[in-house]
Amino acid sequence: MREDQLAQRIVKPKTNLGPGFWPVTALIAVVSAVMVYFVYASPMPIGLVQAGDPAPTVDELFRFLGAVAAIIFNLVTIYTIYFGIVFARPKNAPPNTIGVQIHDAPVLEFWWTAIPTILVIVLAIYSTKIWADLQNTQGDVLTVEAIGYQFGFQFRYPKLANPVVNELHLPLNTPTTIHITSRDVIHGFWIPELRNKADMVPGLITTIRVTPTRAGTYRIICTEFCGEAHSRMVAKAVIESQQDFAKWFAKQGGAAAAGGGGAIALGAGKADAGQTLFGQKCSACHSVGPYDQKQVGPGLGKIFNDPAHPKLVNGSEPTPQNVAAILKNGYQGDMGVMPSAQVNQISNTDIANLVAYLASLSKK
Amino acid sequence: MATVAPGVTTGPYHAVLDHIHPEPTSFIRKYIFSIDAKVIGIQYMITGAIFFAISGFMAELIRTQLLSPDGAIVSPATYNSIYSMHGSSMVWFVVIPLLTGAFGNFVMPMQIGARDVAFPWLNLVAFWIFPVAGVILFSSFLIGAPDAGWTEYPPISLQGPPGTNLWCIAVFLIGISSTMTGINFLVTIFKMRAPGMTFTRMPLFVWAQFATAPLSFIATTALGAALAALFIERVFGVPFYDPKRGGSPVLWQHMFWFYSHPAVYIMIIPGFGIISEVLPTFARKPIFGYKMIAFSSVAIALLSFSVWAHHMFTSGMAPWLQLPFMIITMVIAIPTGIKIFSWMATLWGGAINWKTPALYATGFLITFTYGGLTGFFLAAIPADYHEHGTYFVVAHFHYVLYGGSIMSLFAGLYYWWPKMTGRMYNEKLGQLQFWLTFIGFNATFTPMHWLGLMGMPRRVATYDPQFKFWNQFATYSSYVMAAGAILFIYILIDSLRRGKKAGPNPWGARTLEWMVSSPAPYYNFKKIPAVLAAPYDFGNPLPYLGLEAAPGATEATPTHSSHPVPTH
Repeated sequence: MREDQLAQRIVKPKTNLGPGFWPVTALIAVVSAVMVYFVYASPMPIGLVQAGDPAPTVDELFRFLGAVAAIIFNLVTIYTIYFGIVFARPKNAPPNTIGVQIHDAPVLEFWWTAIPTILVIVLAIYSTKIWADLQNTQGDVLTVEAIGYQFGFQFRYPKLANPVVNELHLPLNTPTTIHITSRDVIHGFWIPELRNKADMVPGLITTIRVTPTRAGTYRIICTEFCGEAHSRMVAKAVIESQQDFAKWFAKQGGAAAAGGGGAIALGAGKADAGQTLFGQKCSACHSVGPYDQKQVGPGLGKIFNDPAHPKLVNGSEPTPQNVAAILKNGYQGDMGVMPSAQVNQISNTDIANLVAYLASLSKK
Repeated sequence: MATVAPGVTTGPYHAVLDHIHPEPTSFIRKYIFSIDAKVIGIQYMITGAIFFAISGFMAELIRTQLLSPDGAIVSPATYNSIYSMHGSSMVWFVVIPLLTGAFGNFVMPMQIGARDVAFPWLNLVAFWIFPVAGVILFSSFLIGAPDAGWTEYPPISLQGPPGTNLWCIAVFLIGISSTMTGINFLVTIFKMRAPGMTFTRMPLFVWAQFATAPLSFIATTALGAALAALFIERVFGVPFYDPKRGGSPVLWQHMFWFYSHPAVYIMIIPGFGIISEVLPTFARKPIFGYKMIAFSSVAIALLSFSVWAHHMFTSGMAPWLQLPFMIITMVIAIPTGIKIFSWMATLWGGAINWKTPALYATGFLITFTYGGLTGFFLAAIPADYHEHGTYFVVAHFHYVLYGGSIMSLFAGLYYWWPKMTGRMYNEKLGQLQFWLTFIGFNATFTPMHWLGLMGMPRRVATYDPQFKFWNQFATYSSYVMAAGAILFIYILIDSLRRGKKAGPNPWGARTLEWMVSSPAPYYNFKKIPAVLAAPYDFGNPLPYLGLEAAPGATEATPTHSSHPVPTH
């Protein structure tokens, strides 16, 4: 650059930053403003419905983070591309051409340290505030226990004798505390629409608090790798009106109170139909060998006359009625979990057929 | 002791080595069990590249499996082993050895004007542990490869296949290798700099290795202890982690992340160093804010020891204990931001020579910034409650690991390739390879952010059908990346067979490794040069005294850029 050109440029400092610097800066401002507008105008900033607290609170944090990230990303990307274009070595320039020999600019460096520092402080305070909101208990109305196992979820409600498997019912507008743990390995408990999650750690109880506000059926997803069927470890979260919840709750309690399930016509059971059904519904977890031939649950081949195991898993006598009771209500205890008839989707007739089939095995 | 320039004296150390040991002539001593840091660096490079090819192939298997919601090609059990081995191999057998072992060994001793590292035999042992550990790791496929992810959280890893034991051994061994290299580099940088090369005259790649080396041997200790305990529990049944017998599964997580978060910086700070070399060379400008870039590397390294529990916000830590980890994690953004702004300012006002290394360094700026910003989303605890364990995390760490570390690896390899081989690569193909990689990479990993936020967990062999479109999109995009990788292999072979002779300094760079012939001679410098200033002043004469001019080296008189910007 010749001396006179240099003098000209110094007289007009606005062009110092390079041709088109201010239009590009304006472009960054416009693009960022549009992005920030969309982040804040959208009712669902991450594209997922809000089914209850803390989703709206967490989404406010997402909005703020998204806005800040969009501005910084635009600044870095657009300036970098712009510098790359206007400061490219011209085609006809000699190969020993060099750029502006500057080493630093203390004022600029002060500001690009100070502004991010302030931004980090703001973000940390804002995140802490939202974090503190999530810790507030606000008088729990309902407490549920969620227990993970390979590969399902089990939910226990107060005043409900039996656990519910793979189906969590939550009443609308009810502050709910979920105590979370696991029976075997680490699992995750996540309802994306509620924006809350905790690991299910064996030997440890973690707690999350939610208040559902939007009825619907959502997915409960395991988010920690837990074994071969990890990706299939999904349960239903049903958020429903308080009346519907009360009805469902009564039904669960009713089934538990009925005990043996008197309506099952055990005498009418057909062993061959039971055998087919066993292959469809039971053989994933139970063998037809002796008790010790365990898969997930014990072998059932000698359930009615096994001298080594004279009692059923729940301690009752091995009568057809008691076996039918386990099939109807499920079991939960030291041996593990057996889902109820409702979860397994088997009717009373199916139960009778299965009992007949098991009885035929024990006679052999 | 002799004064070679005003204020520059040679120490006794330089005098002792002023004669040259004879170069080994046998093939085995020259290329297999060499103690020459440059040869060891290239050995690391080749071995790492082989593991990169294997792990990259596994990455394509992972993506291909996810073409269908029900899993397109393999059973869930096989899939779990593949992604676990992909992660383990990429972290410990590709990125860490390539950035420290390969580039550190090849470049760093030359850049400080040394003839070798401080402990050449230790260097040889450290290298040879690496392929042996790699073979042990991959032989676990023969007896059932580990399937619980590269993090191998117990108790599920206690149930894992027998290959998990081999995984423990392999990672333990590579940790020993990494420890040796870390100590070796630290001593080398402290004791073997050329006369006059003060800390503030060191090239920034050396600063990066200097900040990384202590991480390698301090943090790795925690991983070694954790791995030993996991191995003992699996083989001898001593319950460290099994909660049913009094162990704590969260203990593993603390030990593991106490290593693995600093390891994140082992995997990126040397990359920062490469970018800080490439950008000034191609922008024909001094690096902007030399001291800030150098000190921020050290600041990041120090802070990296106190952020590990941000990986564990959902694992049942006391809530109040989460806060300091969130805040310190966010603080790391400040030194990182300083670096990014300084690199942008280095491009500003340059006379940028758009060769492939410069493209990769600039691509790095964009993708790494993106990865850093999503890191903020993960650091903010309430947002992390939503994102933890999802594809958002997968997207984030591929943006920093591929968009950061691997992009810088590509930049470094294109940059130093002429020095390693003495030959140029095909520039047009190199630039095509950059665009394939850059576009393929962004198209593969950007959709994963949405997938994660919308409810797709990570480490799944099958997924909900609502996520099908973006998964297929990511998979097809990943094939573009794979095409880039295959083209890269072709470019290297083509360069070795037909490449033009590079000459000592094809890029007109100013650090010491470019002052010797390409490939560099055995023992690097016949006479150790004296260093008078930091290396990046393109407008000044070279700041070295006593260099024997490499054959063919000429020093061009600089012409100032014609850009309408003031000079200082």
